[in-house]
Amino acid sequence: MSAARRSGPHQVLLALYALFTLAAGARSLVQLTTQYDEAPVAYWLSLGAAVTYALGWYAIRTAAAGDTRFASVMLWVELGGVVTVGTLSLVVRDWFPDASVWSDYGIGYGFVPAILPVAGLLWLRRHSRSGLARN
Amino acid sequence: MPSVSTQITWIVVGYAALVLVLAVVVAVRGAERPGWLDQMAWMLEVLLVVRALAGLGPLLGEDRPDSTSTYVGYLFASVCVLPIAMRSVQGDRAPWSSAVVAVAAVAVGVVAVRLQMTA
Repeated sequence: MSAARRSGPHQVLLALYALFTLAAGARSLVQLTTQYDEAPVAYWLSLGAAVTYALGWYAIRTAAAGDTRFASVMLWVELGGVVTVGTLSLVVRDWFPDASVWSDYGIGYGFVPAILPVAGLLWLRRHSRSGLARN
Repeated sequence: MPSVSTQITWIVVGYAALVLVLAVVVAVRGAERPGWLDQMAWMLEVLLVVRALAGLGPLLGEDRPDSTSTYVGYLFASVCVLPIAMRSVQGDRAPWSSAVVAVAAVAVGVVAVRLQMTA
């Protein structure tokens, strides 16, 4: 990878995705192993969020290297997940006796989970355009 | 008077906020990441290690945290995040590398507060 490709806004996205993989993964694993019966749906959804962030990290890394196909799918999947789980957490409160990472659109994390895929898609759009311009 | 751990936590949070502001200023100005920002980040890591050592107290005493696994998770994360972030921008002094330092500073500040809340 060239120096120009190596450096850019995607570095911040990669740092945030790595952080959320760690945070959501650790949180869900602790909750699933120590308090499973309290809110199993919410805890499994948190684990799903952690896997999504890990895949999102990989997607952005490959997109930064030039292959944007996986990222263009993965970031929409992530956004769909945040919107769906966020809406369900507001509409079907019984399913969420305890919060998941994406409950209330990520309010527990300052709404960063909702902002992250949007920021990723904006970066991807700009990155794809600059790639086309180069070619 | 607040406990020693609480005092160290607030020092960590204040210093992390300072690192955050300076890292954002450097990134916004579009300047290369200066050496002093690295030194400040490593100084923050030293403070986090001190906080983590102080944080071992509740684990060894009788008044243990409500969720030991959560507490240990935060303790571990508090000392790991910054070195991983610095490693990811090693050899890269472009402006965006300062933004990565800013993200790491926010993260360790939040982790320090959560660590305090779970103690």
